[in-house]
Amino acid sequence: MKRLAALSLANRSMLRNPLRTVFMMLGVTVGIAALIAMSTVGESTRQETMRQFKNMVGTYDVINIEPGASATRGMPSLTTVPPTLKFADSKALTEQVDGIVAVAEVQNAFDLDAKYRDKSTAVALYGISANWLEMHSYFIDFGSVLTDEDVATVARVAVIGPDVRDALFPGEDPLGKQIRIGNVPFQVKGVLVTRGAGPGGSSLDSIVFIPVSTASKRLFNRDYLTTITVQLADPLNPEPVADAITAVLRERHGIVPPGEDDFSLGSPLAAAEQVADVDSTLTRVLTGVSIIATVIGGTVIMSLMLIAVSERRREIGVRRAVGATRNDIMLQFLVEAAAVAFLGGLVGVLLGLGGGVLATVQQNMPPALHWSSIVWAVALSVGVGLLFGLQPAWKAANTDPIEALRG
Amino acid sequence: MIEISQLKKTYFRGDGTPVPALIDVSFDIADGEFVTIRGKSGSGKSSLMNILGCLDTPTSGRYLLAGEDVSGYNDRQRSLLRSRRIGFVFQSFNLLPRTTALENVEVPALYGEHELDRSKALALLQRVGLGERAEHFVSELSGGEQQRVAIARALMNDPPLLLADEPTGNLDSAAGESVMALLKELHRDGRTIVVVTHDEATAAHADRELLIQDGVIASDIVRAVSSGTGKS
Repeated sequence: MKRLAALSLANRSMLRNPLRTVFMMLGVTVGIAALIAMSTVGESTRQETMRQFKNMVGTYDVINIEPGASATRGMPSLTTVPPTLKFADSKALTEQVDGIVAVAEVQNAFDLDAKYRDKSTAVALYGISANWLEMHSYFIDFGSVLTDEDVATVARVAVIGPDVRDALFPGEDPLGKQIRIGNVPFQVKGVLVTRGAGPGGSSLDSIVFIPVSTASKRLFNRDYLTTITVQLADPLNPEPVADAITAVLRERHGIVPPGEDDFSLGSPLAAAEQVADVDSTLTRVLTGVSIIATVIGGTVIMSLMLIAVSERRREIGVRRAVGATRNDIMLQFLVEAAAVAFLGGLVGVLLGLGGGVLATVQQNMPPALHWSSIVWAVALSVGVGLLFGLQPAWKAANTDPIEALRG
Repeated sequence: MIEISQLKKTYFRGDGTPVPALIDVSFDIADGEFVTIRGKSGSGKSSLMNILGCLDTPTSGRYLLAGEDVSGYNDRQRSLLRSRRIGFVFQSFNLLPRTTALENVEVPALYGEHELDRSKALALLQRVGLGERAEHFVSELSGGEQQRVAIARALMNDPPLLLADEPTGNLDSAAGESVMALLKELHRDGRTIVVVTHDEATAAHADRELLIQDGVIASDIVRAVSSGTGKS
C-alpha cells in the first residue's frame, strides 16, 4: 500500500514535464503501433487465406491420397501425376481400412474447353465418384447431382459451375442441353451454387463435374486416379487411418522395405496452414524495423531520463536524506521508465489497431488480431522501459546525497 | 542522544593528498538539548553535520546516536537511521517542486516504518501554522512558509533528533526569527535540536553553542540550563 503511494507520487513527475514525457513515449508508440498494425494485417490475411482455402477444399476432415512419392506442387491433375493410383486401390481401401466414412475418387484435368454451339470456355474438369460433391460441400443450385447410377452406367452427364453456365448459356436454361468437351457430348443435369473465390482470389465456379467412370473410359482413356479422398470418422485422430492406408497401398503396389511409398498422404488443413503462414520477407523486414523503432524509443527514454536524473539531483538528495535507500530511488526511476514506456506502448497499441483496421477494411478483409499480440506488445514496451531505465535509475540511486543537497 | 569521541574526517584530493576536515572532535549532546554548532565556511562544520546526520561516515572515531554505535554503518543502515532518528531542515528548504505542502510533508513516511498517515501530515502542518495552506503548491508559499513546511516534513517520522543546516540562511530576519521561534517551541516539546550555522545571531537562540574552528571544537559555551530531560 505504502509502496503504491510512493510510486503514485513518483509518477506524478511524468505530468510535471508533459512535453518530455510525450517525447519519451514517442519512439515506443511508433514502434508498437507499427507492430500491431502489421500483426492485424497479417492475422487478417492469414484468416482470409484459411477461409478461401476452406472454401476451395470444402472440408478439412479428410486425407487426400495422391500418386507419387511426394505431393505435387499445386493441384494434381492427369498431366502431372504418375499412373500408379488405380480404381482398385480405392475399392480396396473402402473394404480394408477402418475408421473411414467414405472414399471418393477423382480424375481431373485443367484448362479443357467446354463448348456449346458457337460458345466455348476453359474449365477445370473433375471426373468424380458420386459422393465427392457432398464430401466437399458442393451444392446444387438447380437440376440434380451426379448419382452412383451415373457412375455405374458411365453416363455422359455433367454438373456445371455457375461461371460455365454464364459463359455458355447466357439467358438460357442449361438443363438438358448438350455441351461438348474434347468432342465428347455431355448432357447438363445440374448447376452448382456459387463458391466464390479460392486462395489468391481465383474463381472456383469455372468447373465441370462428370462421373469418374465416364472421364476414365470415354474422355481421357486413362485407368489411374489423380486423387483418392478418404473421409475420416474421427478427424481429430487421423494417424491410425493414415497408417492403415499406407499398409494397404504398399502391399497392393508390391512395395517392400526399403522401398519408398509411390503415393503420398496429405491433409488439406496442413496444406492450408502452410499456405497461410508463409511470412513474406516484407513482413519480416517491417517487424524488424518496428522492433528497432521500439528500441530507439528505449534509448530516447534512457537519454531523457539521464537528463531528468541530473535535473532532479536535489529531489534525490532530499529523498535520500529523509530515509530512502538506494533501492528505493532505483525502484522509483525504474517504475517511471516502465510507466512511460507502458503508456507509450498502450497508445501505440491503439494507434496500431486503428491503422490495422483501416488497412484490412481497405482490402475488404475482416480485421483480425490475436489478443496475445497485444499482450506481447505491451510486455515489449514495459521491457524496453525497464531495460533502458536501468542506467538512469542506477545513476539516480548512486547520486551522493551530500553532493546533491549542497548549495 | 549524541556521543562523539575522537572523531576524524579526512578527504583525499585527486592526487592522494589528504585534506583533514575534522581533526579530533569529541562532545556529547544530551536528550532534549538545543545546541548550535557555529563555524565559518571551511571550519569543518559541514563535515560534522553530514556525519551527525548519518549522510557520511567518519574516517575514525566513534559516534553513538541514541546509544547505538553508528560509526561503521553501511549505506542501507544509515538510510534506515535517517528515516527513524533524524529530521533534516536545510538552508534552501529543498522541497519537491510542483508538489503541494501536504505531499512534501508526507514524503518521509513513504520510506518510514509506518503506514502513510495523511491526517498526521495535516496535523504537523497545523502545528507549524500552515494548516490552511496544505493544498498549496510550494511555489505559492513564501520562504518562511516553505521552511515551516520543511520543518513539518522533518517531524513526519517522529525523529528524536532535529538537524537544521543554516535554517535561516535564505530568509529575511523576520522570517528567520519566526523559524527560530518555532524550533524553540519544538525544543520545549522535548525534542533534541542541533542547528548548524555561521551566524552568531542565529546561534544565540540556542542554550548551548559549540564553536568549531579548523576541524576542532574551539569552545563549548552553555548559555542557559537546558529545559530538556537532561541525560548525556
